[in-house]
Amino acid sequence: MSSQPKTARDVVIVEGVRTPFAKSGTKLKTVHAALLGQAALKELIARANLNVDVVDEVIIGNTGSPSDAVNISRVVALNSGVPMKVSAMTVHRNCASALEAITTGFERIKSGTMDTVLAGGTENMSQMPLIVPPAISSIIERLGSAKTTPAKLAALWAWFRADLSQIKEMVTTAPMAKTKYKPIIALVEGLTDPFVGMNMGMTAEVIAKEFNIGRREQDEYALRSHQKAVASRAKLAEELTPFYLPPDYKETLTEDSGPREGQTIEALTKLKPFFDKNTGTITAGNSCPITDGAAMMLLMSREKAESLGYKPLARIRGYGYAGLEPERMGMGPAYSTPVALRRAGVSMKEIGLVELNEAFAAQVMACQKAFDSDEFGKKQGLPGKIGELRSEILNVNGGAIALGHPVGATGTRLVLTLMKEMRRRHVEFGLATLCIGGGQGGSVIIENEG
Amino acid sequence: MSAINLTTQKIGANEVAVLTFDLPGEKVNKLSTPVMSELRTHVEKLKSSAYKMVIFKSAKPRIFIAGADIEQIRQLKTKDQVIKAVSQGQEIMNMIEDLPMPTMALVTGACAGGGCEMILACDYRIASDDSATRIGLPETQLGILPGFGGCVRLPRVVGLQAALDIILAGKLLNAKKAQKIGLVDFMIHPNLIESFAAQQVEKIISDGAKKRRKTFEPRGLVGKVLEGPLKFVVFSKAKEGVLKATKGHYPAPLAALEVVKKTYGLSDRTKALEIEREHFADCAVTDISKNLIHVFYLTEMVKKQTGVSSASVKGKPVKHLGVLGAGTMGGGIAYVAADKGIDVRVKDISIDANAKALKHARDLWQKLAKKKVIDSYQFTQKMSLVSTTVDFSGFKNIDLTVEAIIEDMAIKQKVIGQTAAQMRDDAIIVTNTSSLSVNEIAKGHPRPQNFAGMHFFSPVHKMPLVEVIRGEKSSDETISTVFELAKKMGKMPVVVKDGPGFLVNRLLLPYMAEAAFLLAEGMSVEKVDQIFVNQFGMPMGPFELMDSVGLDVCVKVLNIFKKAYPERVEMPALMEKLEKNKTRHGQKTNLGYYKYSDGRKGEVDQAVYTELGLVTPTNPYTEQECIERCVFAMVNECCLALDQDRIVETPNEVDLAMIMGTGFPPFRGGLTKYADTLGAEYIKNQLDKYANERKANRLKPSAKLVERAQKKMTFYSSNDV
Repeated sequence: MSSQPKTARDVVIVEGVRTPFAKSGTKLKTVHAALLGQAALKELIARANLNVDVVDEVIIGNTGSPSDAVNISRVVALNSGVPMKVSAMTVHRNCASALEAITTGFERIKSGTMDTVLAGGTENMSQMPLIVPPAISSIIERLGSAKTTPAKLAALWAWFRADLSQIKEMVTTAPMAKTKYKPIIALVEGLTDPFVGMNMGMTAEVIAKEFNIGRREQDEYALRSHQKAVASRAKLAEELTPFYLPPDYKETLTEDSGPREGQTIEALTKLKPFFDKNTGTITAGNSCPITDGAAMMLLMSREKAESLGYKPLARIRGYGYAGLEPERMGMGPAYSTPVALRRAGVSMKEIGLVELNEAFAAQVMACQKAFDSDEFGKKQGLPGKIGELRSEILNVNGGAIALGHPVGATGTRLVLTLMKEMRRRHVEFGLATLCIGGGQGGSVIIENEG
Repeated sequence: MSAINLTTQKIGANEVAVLTFDLPGEKVNKLSTPVMSELRTHVEKLKSSAYKMVIFKSAKPRIFIAGADIEQIRQLKTKDQVIKAVSQGQEIMNMIEDLPMPTMALVTGACAGGGCEMILACDYRIASDDSATRIGLPETQLGILPGFGGCVRLPRVVGLQAALDIILAGKLLNAKKAQKIGLVDFMIHPNLIESFAAQQVEKIISDGAKKRRKTFEPRGLVGKVLEGPLKFVVFSKAKEGVLKATKGHYPAPLAALEVVKKTYGLSDRTKALEIEREHFADCAVTDISKNLIHVFYLTEMVKKQTGVSSASVKGKPVKHLGVLGAGTMGGGIAYVAADKGIDVRVKDISIDANAKALKHARDLWQKLAKKKVIDSYQFTQKMSLVSTTVDFSGFKNIDLTVEAIIEDMAIKQKVIGQTAAQMRDDAIIVTNTSSLSVNEIAKGHPRPQNFAGMHFFSPVHKMPLVEVIRGEKSSDETISTVFELAKKMGKMPVVVKDGPGFLVNRLLLPYMAEAAFLLAEGMSVEKVDQIFVNQFGMPMGPFELMDSVGLDVCVKVLNIFKKAYPERVEMPALMEKLEKNKTRHGQKTNLGYYKYSDGRKGEVDQAVYTELGLVTPTNPYTEQECIERCVFAMVNECCLALDQDRIVETPNEVDLAMIMGTGFPPFRGGLTKYADTLGAEYIKNQLDKYANERKANRLKPSAKLVERAQKKMTFYSSNDV
């Protein structure tokens, strides 16, 4: 069942590369997301020695939609030397945007519509903007449309008073609290579920309590993520291209800045719960940090790859997305994976390696429990459990808790890291999956070609 | 066949005359003597016609009128001839200005010199925003000045400051800038210019078909004051600027300034044009103007060449360029290529080295962005074209790689072999070596037909010359590809044969070495450099040049010469001595003959004299001796390079290479042109004298110079341009 003959319309991954990831507000904070994407895409084209004239489309995931590059895919494509004639689209499925880029490319190629797609994601979470709240923007509009001097003066006066109110609110309210006059923090809004109004961290708290996952276990999980990532630096370097830091180029990022060499359980234990001060277990230490980075991949039909003399690295077998309650979004992988497995014709037992995005340690561990639960499986309409998700094959090079989670780029990073490790371990099937803010899961099953 | 066609056009109810310039059998329109007399006939006829308006336009695609016929100017030998020719031109422009009906010029493409002066004589001017549109007065670049009323009319139309800006620098403006300063009234899309002009014509006619003599209206108080009572400030500032830029070697901009100064605001047109005419004639008969025209022809020559004699050979397009080595040269080459839209991949052995190339390029573009030469989008686009690598990733996509690594034969051969293995079989590799044999390096390439030399000069973004070194096995296609690439990069390529120092360094090294001997004999660094800059007109003196090339490089190349020509090359002992001090290798070590900080030249380092064991300089020699010993050493070597080794085929190439590669003063027309003005015999005699007096065997006239002196040969025959 699981083995499938190779066909001309198989969708294969030819090459992939990413930038180093850096915690938001640090090294990459001034680098536009388009430039991050360009660094990865140009390097991908070079590593594959790709004749860019054959590219049919560029599909790039991004969630921040920088206002000066709203279809950022097109900006990245043109600045990377992709010809003008090649179309480019940006896709958005929150945390799975760069997975969406790959699965959209998969569909384009599988259907025979296209043969060559550059897919990936880029995100600069440092640069997510502060937005002028409506209470102030309406005054600015009034000022702009005021015709008479008294009307202009009145609007100016109103603006001045609104500014005073803003300063007062800044001083007297909690930093992230939403008020009438304070600037809206796009990042905070983005990480708040728009349906139930719950912050992503709070959704993790829900799961931790529901699956009874304690603070200590989560911290230990987080520690292992750092230890594995530190130990895998050399391996991870293979999927990275150095990022030369403009404008002085005095420094070049050659590795992810997240993994901490000296991370200890003591340090993790000391951290206070961030979202639920009283009974909470989710801390900044056992959650992924907000991060900047980009990852890109070259997808082709098998026939195209072969005609150009490429030896594919992996075949995409299938994918699935599924929805669930937004307040339990962290369980997404447990919902989308059975769909992907069914479509790929692969069983969980055959999966030799898994990249499951570490949004929160609690959420990963809860997914492990759900995968191994007959009861959970049956609720999804499966005959029994999805299949055990063994810790030995899960995020073996560390995960987002250490590496970081640039929202619009992570999907491609997971598939890239998975694919490279599958080749090192000669694993036949791999699963890349992540939970998606808003209450979804996304999963892709790939097969080693080498 | 006529060069100007007079037709009529019905616009609304009115008959309008249209004069269309279309020089038969030529790509461009020129205002040659026959064209001018044709123009006179037409204008005379129009004067008494009933047409409501006259429109001037061109039938050439993307060319209006490129200017007067330069060759005719060059042929004028006496002041009387010049004055006669110019006054005829001035007269015709006056006739256009005096036509009873309004006149309008529609400009698409080049509108330079006389072309620009003609539209200035019109009442209305409309330019198309075609990218080829360039309007201005480049005359001063040819050692002359606008002579058909341009010096008089342009300041009236656009104001003093804008006019001086154009005339003194010999600038051409695009349509946008021309409109901004008021040189043209409108800027219109080429597809709409005719219909827009028709609307304007109707409007002008319905408003009474009035003549209009546009006069500049300064804006704001500062503008009004500077164009009025304080205009002397503008003039003195302009003069200061010209003197700073030309060091007084170029009389034309100063003469033009004089003309504007004397004629600005003068209501007597006849008098004003007489002043312009006089100054024009003074400039036009000078050697300087003839030499600058000669240099102009040299650059035009390159535009037409392909680098090979066979017309059927076509160079391949280079879309992706590889650069090996991210040092000063590699970084500079990457910058220049990317600046012209070529995708560049730089490979060095370390990330730190690559970072330097990125910074070099970024800093240069940042400067352009700051000066608003490019906008932030162009900045990003250009920057995006440069990528780096420490392995050979992406090299299969590269069409041509420039090797700019360390000057070491064994390493170069090895790296070129490795690179060839990583590139497509049809790809080309060129070496940027300045001192090693291209034929020898070629042995490292498995397909030497795809190999050649491409020698850039430092700093790459400033020096226009590229020596294309043809190896014994280089194919025509390779040479042509490299030649075209150099042109695409905005450079002036000259094809040379392999040989120590190729052409330019071969000539330059004896010159620099001679300066070192002058130093050893008591001349000071400051004095010698100052003589060459201020008296002779070099952009920098020989010592500053050595600092910029690098003292280690100079010694290295001199040693190669000495090996090749032991009988005539002499290494100055003090250069060897200096080279041993690794902290004094010139600009790159922040210390040479001069002190440097942040890449800027400071004072001469006085410690250099004691370090060399020299006494305080007494400056025992005349300026003449300093110049002659150094420059004649070049001429001496040039005779051998040209007559004996045929490194290049013609003196044209020597002169172009020396001007573009070393900044040899263009007003002297180049090294061989300069030698011709003195005569081979004089040069030979002087060299003999210096060889004896200074006991300098190296200065003995070479066999080929002696031959030239005996036969009284000149490099150029009198018919040559």
